[in-house]
Amino acid sequence: MFSPPDTDSATRSTDQDALHARLSASRLGYIPDPWAALFLSRPQGVQNRPGLINVGTWLRTRSVDLLVEEFIARVEGGGKVQVLSVGAGSDTRFWRLATGPLKDRLAKYIEVDFPEITSSKARSIWKHARLKVVLGACKLDAGGTALHSEVYHLLPFDLRQPPAALGALLNLDAALPTLLLAECVLPYMPPEAGGALLHWATAGLGLGGERVPVGVVLYEMFGLGDAFGGVMRENLAARGVSIPGTLPSLHALQERFEAAGYTQSSALTLQDIRTHYVPRSETERVATLELIDEYEELDLVLRHYAVAWASKGLAGEGEGEWGLRKAGEGEES
Amino acid sequence: MNNLDRQIEQLKRCEILPEPEVRLLCLKARELLIEEGNVVYVDSPATICGDIHGQFFDLLELFKVGGWCPETKYIFMGDFVDRGFYSVETFLLLLAFKVRYPDRITLIRGNHESRQITQVYGFYDECTRKYGSASVWRYCCDVFDYLALGAIVDGRVFCVHGGLSPTIQYLDAIRAIDRKMEVPHDGGMCDLLWSDPDEIVGWGMSPRGAGFLFGSDVVRTFCHSNDLDLIARAHQLAMEGYKLMFDRRIVTVWSAPNYCYRCGNVASILDLDEDLRQEYKVFHHAPPDPRSVPAKRPPAEYFL
Repeated sequence: MFSPPDTDSATRSTDQDALHARLSASRLGYIPDPWAALFLSRPQGVQNRPGLINVGTWLRTRSVDLLVEEFIARVEGGGKVQVLSVGAGSDTRFWRLATGPLKDRLAKYIEVDFPEITSSKARSIWKHARLKVVLGACKLDAGGTALHSEVYHLLPFDLRQPPAALGALLNLDAALPTLLLAECVLPYMPPEAGGALLHWATAGLGLGGERVPVGVVLYEMFGLGDAFGGVMRENLAARGVSIPGTLPSLHALQERFEAAGYTQSSALTLQDIRTHYVPRSETERVATLELIDEYEELDLVLRHYAVAWASKGLAGEGEGEWGLRKAGEGEES
Repeated sequence: MNNLDRQIEQLKRCEILPEPEVRLLCLKARELLIEEGNVVYVDSPATICGDIHGQFFDLLELFKVGGWCPETKYIFMGDFVDRGFYSVETFLLLLAFKVRYPDRITLIRGNHESRQITQVYGFYDECTRKYGSASVWRYCCDVFDYLALGAIVDGRVFCVHGGLSPTIQYLDAIRAIDRKMEVPHDGGMCDLLWSDPDEIVGWGMSPRGAGFLFGSDVVRTFCHSNDLDLIARAHQLAMEGYKLMFDRRIVTVWSAPNYCYRCGNVASILDLDEDLRQEYKVFHHAPPDPRSVPAKRPPAEYFL
């Protein structure tokens, strides 16, 4: 009989890569993340990652943070938002937001992932008072694979299931603007499943009727039709990871948004972002953190990762759209 | 078979030498290298190679394409170590060739042939892992200090790892450098190992934090002042194996295919014949071999 391929556990293992990278980047001063170490049983045993990985982690984290902050800032009247982070893994963004200036703007922050991931995350939260205190009153659920508090919710779900089943679990508020986050998630899914998830968000989040505004932020590898991409697929296959849901180009990323009903969309490579979207002061600060002696290899890798975002019904659409800002005039980065 | 030939055969099989043999080999190499000038004169024909970075099995591919030493006369433009899994075997094989056939191979220093850089990018760790101490790393670093800074083929083709320096207008200025030291953080010797050509006018700041960027006007002037046809350098990944710039006055030669087991690039070597005609021989990375990537390798990293 069909036995579940162990590509799932290999896919889940990629969360450890991301977590180690975040810990490394935070230790070295690229990004502030006092929370990452709490999700590891032996953080002191994690070696720092190579400079290239730290730079990518910095660009990715910084870009998604800015998009999340600006999405919240655009909600009229200082109203609240709900955030749905799919394939969230051991991401720490909730703790960073909930202890920052935007903490009162979060109505709900829901994280969804494989039950193996959510149960381990729930255990970490339960174990560390520092994580738990940010949540306030909270309780474990579903045999320890789920965790609920007033704002933060952690839920087990296989994202390859039809999104309607996800909607039934979430208990979203029909009246609130919603932001969907998917960092390195859709590439691991069949292409149709990724498209269905994006469409589900613009088609009312399973709440019936059209719910707006809705925004989505993606971060993922793409454009793997070249020699670099071929080697990447081989290297990932060697550790059991397959990436059937990657798209060929930035244009294809935007087309997927349009097909899913978004009215505004943008996509940039991490290389674009490094070159044009980081203020010079920040670039100069980061340049002092460690030696990066090779830019051809760095740019080659960064050219194969995109930050993409799209929205429907967001205030200010068309007039200075929601998005990353180029580094200031007269301040070339 | 004498001892050195036996060592070469052993290294060709990607087997390391015992530490006492490494010590003696490095001592002999230093005795030879100390006699070489900062810029080594080489007669054509010669084959010019770029970065290898410890990709030993790809170095074997290079020799398959270019011919073995001593049948082919080689100039290696540095960055033998770091990044790849077999920096020890790679550097020792090239060094054994140098000691055995001193006139058939020239080794130029790259920016990775440095104590500081090798402690960040892998050679130090590889030595301590394979030998249980840092002695072999120290012997090799002592050799690095004696490597030439450049080579010149028939007086017409200047070979250097990185590029030019604003403090060096004439090749004689390179000859005047006291090179036998760790790579300095600035100055002419540093620039030769760190600089890159770029689409700018004049000189620019390098993002690498050492050396400079230099434009086509700088290259034109340098070639004219020194009566050169071509500057051959390495130091930058070229996806197609080589990259000619500035009216073919400068070329980047890159000899590490599928760099870092991640980049997917091809590599090349530059054959110069008796008339200095250029032929770029492109080659691919070694076929998957259980040995080419060790079983307990650190996997090529991505953002996942």
